[in-house]
Amino acid sequence: MNPEIKAALRGKLLAMADDDLLLGHRNSEWTGHAPILEEDIAFANIALDEIGHAKLWYEILADLEGEDRETYPDRLVFHRLTSAWRSAQITELDKGDFAFTIVRQYLCDTAELARLEGLRTSSYTPVAEVANKIIAEEHYHHRHTRAWVRRLGLGTEESHERMERALHNLWPFTAQLFAPVPDEALLVEAGIVPDPQAVKEAWEGPVRAWLAECNLPAPEGLPPVNIGREIHTEHLVTLLGEMQSVARLVPEGVW
Amino acid sequence: MSDSQWPRYQVFEQRREGAPHENAGSLHAPDNEIALQMARDIFVRRPTCIDLWVAPAAMIFARSAEQLADPAWREGAPQDSTPGAYRVFAKTRHAGTHQFLGTVEAEGTLSALEQALETFSDTAALVWWIVPDSAFTETDPDDAESLFAPANDKVYRDQADYHTVSLMRNIRHAQAERSSEE
Repeated sequence: MNPEIKAALRGKLLAMADDDLLLGHRNSEWTGHAPILEEDIAFANIALDEIGHAKLWYEILADLEGEDRETYPDRLVFHRLTSAWRSAQITELDKGDFAFTIVRQYLCDTAELARLEGLRTSSYTPVAEVANKIIAEEHYHHRHTRAWVRRLGLGTEESHERMERALHNLWPFTAQLFAPVPDEALLVEAGIVPDPQAVKEAWEGPVRAWLAECNLPAPEGLPPVNIGREIHTEHLVTLLGEMQSVARLVPEGVW
Repeated sequence: MSDSQWPRYQVFEQRREGAPHENAGSLHAPDNEIALQMARDIFVRRPTCIDLWVAPAAMIFARSAEQLADPAWREGAPQDSTPGAYRVFAKTRHAGTHQFLGTVEAEGTLSALEQALETFSDTAALVWWIVPDSAFTETDPDDAESLFAPANDKVYRDQADYHTVSLMRNIRHAQAERSSEE
């Protein structure tokens, strides 16, 4: 593989893996705290799925780097400094209330589904294989979150107000999910990933329509978060401080 | 608070092609669609399911063999007349679950049970369940893959993957040997 394409692919894989990992981690924070038992189990399940997807992307990255796919994902997750993460900020934010969690997961699920549709036919076989493997689970997450968006959007005055506030806070961050990583154009040209602009267009129409149907029209006129993935929120610092604390105490610990 | 509690649903799972649907347990949900969605999370995380049904528990008419032994069992039974199809389930072992036997066409709940007793007379049921066909929400075949396929390669979710039965047997053997030595 041409070194420029390889460098771009490395960045893209890291972005996708980091997004899934952090989303999974934030969802796992609901375990034992979700509004009801059934939803607790559902969210633990979704959290596990997202972390599992992250692991698959990190493993492809390990193969690309000539690293050990058993240990490399752990090294990236538990021993990487904040500045080396390539997550989108929407995945870093604190879990908030249940409305915030549902809206975030809905926006990320739909964005991921739109991207996975394009990745299924990736010219880079490992990427196509993973995309085909995880898309079924993303469809299921999507069905779960879209059902809750509808019920909470059209529910009580309070549920609607919370959903509206969550959407208002989260909508500007969605821009980053579709912003190209450095040299992504090379990957598009090589047929490895779909054009991010086309992914955004495939995402936006159905999402706006569903939100409108749920009495949650997409906010207008908010400035989008248009910054690179090397810049992070303070939420990520706190998250990593906690998530990496055991690995820092006992770097070679095994149990 | 029982007032704010969501309604209870019974969940039925089919473990393989040709096998009858059986009761997997119950859950609380705000409506049918969410009930089906949650049933997947709670009962089919393991790779053993190909189809799911859910029905509101309140729609189930249940009668035990003991109740049916009383000649006056029809008293107090729902006297509704909603003609249509009714699904019949029976539990035949105390530790068992309700299994789907088949469907009967009837004028109402009571006559559905009467027909079931006749149609499935060779079933020694401890408890019968009669549920109107219209009460069920089922897996859409188009969704089956996204609901069930991901569990197939997650063998670590299946207790059979952990060999705990043989492990416990070995532990018990070891304990028995030690106590006989003492």
